[in-house]
Amino acid sequence: MNFHYEKARAQTRRHFFGQTGLGFGALALNQLLAEEKGGFGKGVKIPAKAKSIIYLHMAGSPSQIDLFEHKPALTKFHGKDCPEEYLKGKRFAFIKGTPKMMGPVFDYKKRGESGQWVSDLLPGLSSVIDDVCVIRSMNTDQFNHSPAQLLLQTGNPLLGYPSMGSWVNYGLGSENKNLPGFVVLASGGKTPSAGKSLWGSGFLPTLYQGVQCRTDGGDPILYLSDPKGMSREARRKTLDALRDLNEYQNQHIGDPETLTRIAQYELSYRMQMSVPEVMDIGKEPQHVLDLYGAKPGFVSNVETAADPRRLYKGDDPTFANNCVLARRLVENGVRFVQLYDWGWDHHGSSPGESIDETLPIKCQQIDKAIAGLIKDLKQRGLFEETLIVWGGEFGRTPMMQNNVNSTLKPGYYGRDHHPHAFTMWMAGAGIKPGAYGETDDIGYYIGENPVGVRDLQATILHLLGLDPHRFNFSYQGLNQRLIGPTDDGQVVKEVLS
Amino acid sequence: MFPRSALVSVLVLSIAGANADLDFNRDVRPILSANCFSCHGPDQEAREGKLRLDTAEGAKKALKPGDDPELIHRIETDDEDDLMPPPDSGHQLTGAQKEILRKWVTAGAPYDEHWSFQKPEKQVVPGGEYAIDHFVSKRLKEVGLEMSEPADRYTLIRRLTLDLTGLPPTLEEAEQFQKSGDVKELVDRILDSEAFGEHWARMWLDLARYADTKGYEKDRGRNIWRYRDWVIDALNADMPFDQFTTEQLAGDLLPNATVDEILATAFHRNTMENDEGGTDDEEFRVAAVKDRVDTTMQIWMGLTMGCAKCHTHKYDPVSLEDYYSFYAFFNQTEDADRGSPVMATPTKKQREEIKDLETEIKDLEKKVKERPKEFQSAFLEWKTKIGEGALWSPLRLRSQETKAAELQQRADGILTVKGELPEKDTWVLTFDLPSGQSVTALRIAALTKKPGGKWKDKNVALRELTAELIIEGEKPRKLRLTNPRADFSQKGWEVAKAIDGSTKAGWAFSPMAAAPHVAVFDFDKSIAGGQLRLTLEQEYGQGLIFENFKVSVSRLPSKWLEAEVDAKGGLESVFVTQVYEPTRKMNTRVVAVRTELEQVRRAIPNTPIMRELSANRRRVTKVHQRGNFLDQGEVVSERLPEMFGSLPEGFPGNRLGVARWLTHPENPLTARVMVNRIWARLFGKGIVETEEDFGMQGAVPTYPDLLDWLAVGYQEQGWSLKRLLKTIVLSKTYQQSSKVTPDRLAKDPRNALLSRGARFRLSAEMVRDQALATSGLLTQKLGGPSVMPPQPPGVWKSTYSGEKWKDATGQDRYRRGVYTYLKRTSPYPALTTFDAGSGEVCQIRRIRTNTPLQALITLNDPTFLEAAGALSKKMKSLEHGFRVVLIRSPSSRELVRLQALYDTMDKHYTDTPEAADELLKSAGLKEGDAAMVSVANVILNLDETLTKP
Repeated sequence: MNFHYEKARAQTRRHFFGQTGLGFGALALNQLLAEEKGGFGKGVKIPAKAKSIIYLHMAGSPSQIDLFEHKPALTKFHGKDCPEEYLKGKRFAFIKGTPKMMGPVFDYKKRGESGQWVSDLLPGLSSVIDDVCVIRSMNTDQFNHSPAQLLLQTGNPLLGYPSMGSWVNYGLGSENKNLPGFVVLASGGKTPSAGKSLWGSGFLPTLYQGVQCRTDGGDPILYLSDPKGMSREARRKTLDALRDLNEYQNQHIGDPETLTRIAQYELSYRMQMSVPEVMDIGKEPQHVLDLYGAKPGFVSNVETAADPRRLYKGDDPTFANNCVLARRLVENGVRFVQLYDWGWDHHGSSPGESIDETLPIKCQQIDKAIAGLIKDLKQRGLFEETLIVWGGEFGRTPMMQNNVNSTLKPGYYGRDHHPHAFTMWMAGAGIKPGAYGETDDIGYYIGENPVGVRDLQATILHLLGLDPHRFNFSYQGLNQRLIGPTDDGQVVKEVLS
Repeated sequence: MFPRSALVSVLVLSIAGANADLDFNRDVRPILSANCFSCHGPDQEAREGKLRLDTAEGAKKALKPGDDPELIHRIETDDEDDLMPPPDSGHQLTGAQKEILRKWVTAGAPYDEHWSFQKPEKQVVPGGEYAIDHFVSKRLKEVGLEMSEPADRYTLIRRLTLDLTGLPPTLEEAEQFQKSGDVKELVDRILDSEAFGEHWARMWLDLARYADTKGYEKDRGRNIWRYRDWVIDALNADMPFDQFTTEQLAGDLLPNATVDEILATAFHRNTMENDEGGTDDEEFRVAAVKDRVDTTMQIWMGLTMGCAKCHTHKYDPVSLEDYYSFYAFFNQTEDADRGSPVMATPTKKQREEIKDLETEIKDLEKKVKERPKEFQSAFLEWKTKIGEGALWSPLRLRSQETKAAELQQRADGILTVKGELPEKDTWVLTFDLPSGQSVTALRIAALTKKPGGKWKDKNVALRELTAELIIEGEKPRKLRLTNPRADFSQKGWEVAKAIDGSTKAGWAFSPMAAAPHVAVFDFDKSIAGGQLRLTLEQEYGQGLIFENFKVSVSRLPSKWLEAEVDAKGGLESVFVTQVYEPTRKMNTRVVAVRTELEQVRRAIPNTPIMRELSANRRRVTKVHQRGNFLDQGEVVSERLPEMFGSLPEGFPGNRLGVARWLTHPENPLTARVMVNRIWARLFGKGIVETEEDFGMQGAVPTYPDLLDWLAVGYQEQGWSLKRLLKTIVLSKTYQQSSKVTPDRLAKDPRNALLSRGARFRLSAEMVRDQALATSGLLTQKLGGPSVMPPQPPGVWKSTYSGEKWKDATGQDRYRRGVYTYLKRTSPYPALTTFDAGSGEVCQIRRIRTNTPLQALITLNDPTFLEAAGALSKKMKSLEHGFRVVLIRSPSSRELVRLQALYDTMDKHYTDTPEAADELLKSAGLKEGDAAMVSVANVILNLDETLTKP
């Protein structure tokens, strides 16, 4: 999709390239020069390692203790009262009083040649673990879903800031002029806590906001289909007339914006073909679908359920379908593909949200698909140019959540929100496989090499070819950046290949 | 793209301007601000080399006179280590900028206070000239341009009506104007319409970050539409902007504040609240207060204070202490992220209804109390007839079967439990019925229980009551009890539940158990003679059974007994309310009016409002280090940022003082910021393009003299928005044709100099409203709760929120966009696609985009299809349809093209009648001309349709 259409930019160009304020004249010239230089100030664009990114966000935040953190010491303390030193001065979302420590619920093994510890819940990921860099020392300063998701995705815990995808779309645009540069796919039956603000464009033009493509049987993009009774041929005829009439208007008034509008209508017509085509995973051969565990056309009943959590099934292929779609989108030049999978908030305080019963089901839904995605990208040679990021918005406590049940009950194993340490992994373009960072013996605090949310953002921008410190947009008197006003966020060089 | 030649000539112009007359604020400060202030500005912590360039004093060091002052050396040197700005800063000066700095230093480096911090001066305009046009033509002449010719009348009326009301004119209005040509009269008429307030309210609601939900994870609904209507009403009434300001920021602090004045304070309750489980309310209260500070400064002063909440502003002189001292004014309200306080805010209609109903009740009650001459004799006669005190006759107990209790009956008929009250019981009691009389109703009077005893709770739970008639020699007959009523029932334990055949609940009367209560039931058919057997199931436990009670029957008509359960007036009350015709009628009316009044009262919306904390609960405000509310430092007290001095003498040191200061004649910014904002809505961009930033980093005004003239005039004319608008739209500048010629495009590419009329795409709401208005679908209804026009299913899928989008039917499907329900985490797609905001934070201006997704909306969204359907029905001819939407007549080639399209589509749909039927259905029509629908769809999608002419 030609979101970068020249005139649409001209509309807002004052805002885009900083201000020198010598009256409009010099400004316009500076802008032209800036555009010729690549659109931004000196040094903003740097050599890119990744052409596109597939970001897999597990909304609710999976338990790192039960997936990646092999902690024999924690197992030893299992069932004992949490020492006071870990509770004093801490704010928890739900834990009250003194909770009991809770060791990993599932068994761990060393995986791959690298011998990384991964729990039995992720056999698929274990099979490709040597392609992945696991970061066990992530941390954030937000401990509620909505603010933590916003901080991660927009760089600010409050609503109203541009999402990472919007920033990247603004900085780099789409490679395919018939497709949006930033596509969002959701599964799990709900949108994440912070809603559509997670792919909003904040103070950037709405041009750069994420386009949510729906896979539940309706139009993939809202109002993409012509109405019933308007065939493609009939639509073409009406658009021909529209174009001619707009041409007359342009000849009469001479406003360049009219030409843009003509172009955008033509583009919308092409999108009506190109979007459904790329969205149709039924075009994939069976063996590729099998690799992910995908089933074209499947619409899960959780998508319309008021509380989908109790309906989760391990063989639900919705997330797998979205992974296939993600690959098709990056293959077609979409820059930023953001997947959200809801249902990872395993507090154990009500049915359908436990570590012991729900987490294994959620893992089944994503594990084969993710392994398939990595293998498929590799066999297509796309792995080297696609960055994959996986994780939640924070971690989960090494203690059990105790506000509803004070002892462990089957189906009610739960952990509270934990901002101090969690695990994410990255793979693909520019990433050095292996592990980075460690937590302490019980997985409560970072042991070494902490990676903050802002470091992660800086690293992602860096890999995509944008200098995270220089890439900015002038708004409210500040040069706003994804990584925030301070220079706390630094590229994590150690994970780069 | 702009032609290359245009840019070259522009460059020449600007350099020529710089040569001619160097102006610090226009030419020098922007260069310093953009390239130097972040390290050499107001922020002490970020300051490098102890040098600050934002003040003359601080810059002395770098400007020591001599052949080559430090500053010039540093910007021109080839030595990368010395070069300023440093190469790794990302900043770089152009040759022209260096040239300007050199000239400035040569001229002695004169500093001047930032232009927007100086009070606007009244600009002199030569006699007989229209001020706006004077400033514009003068400047145009300097660049070798003149104004474009005036727009034709059809264009003008469409432009004026769209700009001032957000709606298009009707063809009739256009014809009328074509004949009269009186623009002043037209403008007055347009400014008088209610649509005016609805349109301009949208601008204010963007600023006020108005939305119908609270935001964040749960994003639950919030009733705050009364505030939206307050804005509409205030604008329609042309409330002066100073009053508009005071009421919204501090209406609650005004002496004897009215409901409307307090309602206005909902302005700052539009901040978000986080209902997510486990959140710290204080964290989000603080976030809301900060938002109020930032929003207030943004809206009124055009200043970006937001960055000073973490560190001293890098460009404008606002320190961290300044921020939290100003924050202290807003840190004293009761609200704390929990929804409260709210206030009942009846609408005007509700207020009128309540007043009318109350008056009616008063009048009726007065009349009911009046006793006509005949009353006493009629009452006596009736009393004699029924026998004194004979409404109810107590029944004698004949036998009892109980599990635990033993009942005794006193002479007056009262039954009591002997000894200790059991925990629970079921009683089967048989009573003698009066012989030779038919009885109509049964009454159980629960008398108060003894104090003390084993059971503290003095309530009774009669879970089930059944009645049988026993006549000697016959099988007991079950009796049906009807019309259950009681003087009081506990919530969930209404008396009807005592006879519903279930023991789940029954009749009970907590929390009023200390008083006696009665329940009355009618027999569905009157009974006579024999015995009455009642079964009273009281198995709830905890001693909730009768201790003292009386069972009676009556032989009187049931309606006479209605009053028994509520009137204290005894027989006379029964007579007045149920028997005596003249008063009975009036009483029935009183009851009906009371019910109505209750309904009206219940429907009054509660709106979140601001309320100042009482003196003993006031908060201590401290500086938040790096903006972190958990890391608080020094205590600060309420004051303005230092650069603005202190509140004027006699101003209260609270929000009210702040509100008055904002519109004080000495305030240099508010009027400028406001007129600039209005100007931007009419011309597509402000005289200061960065509407949100009048500080050092903001754009320099294109017409500083015009801006000041407007700002001074706005204040002198009583802060009247309507007068301001009228002044602007009556100018030649506004009324120019928007035709773009190559010469104008070259010399004034972005129309910053206003060498032609402003032509730009309509706002999101206008796009919708125009389609509905021209097709005749628009519902013209002022105010009320927000509505949900159709949107595809599944767009709303919020976490943990059961609230659903229900497509409106009927009138509410076609309301103006300003009334569309706005959910912050899932805003209405057809509006946001056209750049409307989500109401999360204050939106100073919407950045216009032009995207293919917009085309999909206006082509395929049901609202627009239904508009095409309705328009097709309204079109008398192709030409007529074109004119209904665009007001002007089509040119002959336009008409020919439309005809060709119609013919093609007509043939297509004649060949495929099923498709024709489907399209009609998509367009909301039962029958019609599918070809015409597709033509209407095209007309509604024309560039000219979507654009202000």
